[in-house]
Amino acid sequence: MTLPRLALAAATLLGCVVSMGASAEMPDWSGQWENVGATPDASGGFNQSLEQVLTRMQWGPPNRPELQARVDKMVAAERKRLEAIGRGEDPGGVDVKACTFGFPLVMLDSPLMFEILPTRKETTLIFSSREIRHVYTDGREHTPKDELWATPWGDSIGHWEGQTLVIDTIAVKSPFASSESEGVAVMAFGDVEGEQTITILSSQAHFVERIRMIDKDHLEDQMTVFDPNNLTAPWHVNRTYQRVAHIHRMVYEDCEGEERNPVVNGRFTLAPPPSATPKPAAAPNGASASPSTPPN
Amino acid sequence: MSRVQKYALIAVAVLLTAIPALAHHSFAMFDQSKSVTLQGTVKDFRWTNPHVFVQLLVKTESGSEEEWSIEMTSPEHLARVGWKPGAMKPGDKVTLVIHPMRDGSAGGQFISGTGPEGPFAGSPAPNGESK
Repeated sequence: MTLPRLALAAATLLGCVVSMGASAEMPDWSGQWENVGATPDASGGFNQSLEQVLTRMQWGPPNRPELQARVDKMVAAERKRLEAIGRGEDPGGVDVKACTFGFPLVMLDSPLMFEILPTRKETTLIFSSREIRHVYTDGREHTPKDELWATPWGDSIGHWEGQTLVIDTIAVKSPFASSESEGVAVMAFGDVEGEQTITILSSQAHFVERIRMIDKDHLEDQMTVFDPNNLTAPWHVNRTYQRVAHIHRMVYEDCEGEERNPVVNGRFTLAPPPSATPKPAAAPNGASASPSTPPN
Repeated sequence: MSRVQKYALIAVAVLLTAIPALAHHSFAMFDQSKSVTLQGTVKDFRWTNPHVFVQLLVKTESGSEEEWSIEMTSPEHLARVGWKPGAMKPGDKVTLVIHPMRDGSAGGQFISGTGPEGPFAGSPAPNGESK
C-alpha cells in the first residue's frame, strides 16, 4: 500500500472510531415512553394491583419510625376517603386541582408519556403533563445555594457513563404541599380501591438516577434517594419504561381544563362538554344551512 | 371493590396530612359493580380534554330516544391504546358496555364497545381477544 493510500485508510479508520465514539456518547432514545404497567385503558383504569406496582418499583423506603407513624395515619385516612368515594360521595379535603406530578413521582408512578432529548450539554425530559426536566450535562455544579429555591422538578445536573445517563437532583418541593417543610410526597397506586401507599421525603432529599436502555424498547431508571432526615438508609427504587405502542408524537394532557364531574349536593355528577359541532346558522331565506365540519 | 382512576386531575391534599388523590372522584359517580350494555346511535363523539365523551341516543321501551353521556379517559390516554378522533362518528350504530351512574341518570363510564368496523381499540373481540 502506498503512503497516501495508507494515510487515507488510517484517516478513514480514525473517522470511524471518532464516529463510533460520538454515537456511543449520545444514545438514541427517541420516541415516546411510558411506565411499564401504566398504560391506561379506554376507561382510564390501569388494572394493576398495588402489590404489582410495588414489586415492579422494588418499593421499600426505610422510613424513620416517626415518619412511618405519619405514613400509617395517612394510609388509614386515605382508605376512609376511598370508602366514601366508593359510595359516590365527595370525601372532602380537596382544595386545589392541578396537573403536576413533580419529581420524583413523574418518574416513578405516573401514567404520563414522555420524551427524552439527549444533547451533549443538556438532556431534556418532556412529559405529556407539560412538565419538563432539564438535566445539565455540561460539567456545571448544582445552582449555588444563594440562587437556588425548591421547585416540583428540582435542580438537576448529570453526566454520561457510557450509555448511562447519571442524574443528580436536589431542591425538590412537592407540588402537593403548600411549603417546603411539608416534604416531598412519593406515592404508589394500585388500581383497586384502598390500595395506595406513600412516603414523605424531606426538602433535603438528594436523588441519584441512572437511566439506561436495557433493550431497544425499554429504558430503566435506577433511583437512589438519600434523605437522612426521613430515611434510615439510602432508598433504592427502580422503574422501567417501554415505548408507547400506538402514537408516535407527543400529545399533551390538559387536565386543568373544564371540570366534567362537578359535585352537586355532595355527590359527583357528569357534565359532558359542549358539542364541537356548530349549530346550523339560519339562512336568509329561512332554510337551514348545512352544518360545517367540526374543528379537529 | 371499585376501580379508581389513576390520573386525570390531581386533587391536592392540604398540608400533606392525606395522600394526594389522583382523580379518584372522576369515577365516584359510576357504579363499578354493575355493567350495562347500550345499543344506540352516536349523536356526538367529543374528543376533548380532560375527558372524551360519547353522546349516545338509545331507544327506550316506549320508542322514544334517550340521550346518554358516556365518559372515557383523556385523548392522550386513548391515543396510546389506539383510539383516533374519528373512532366514532355521528350516526354510527354502536354497542357500548358501561358502568352506569349510581343515581340512575342516563350516563356511565365506558368499558368497551363495538362499532360498525368491529370492536373499538382495547375492547374484546367476539372471540374474547382484545383488539
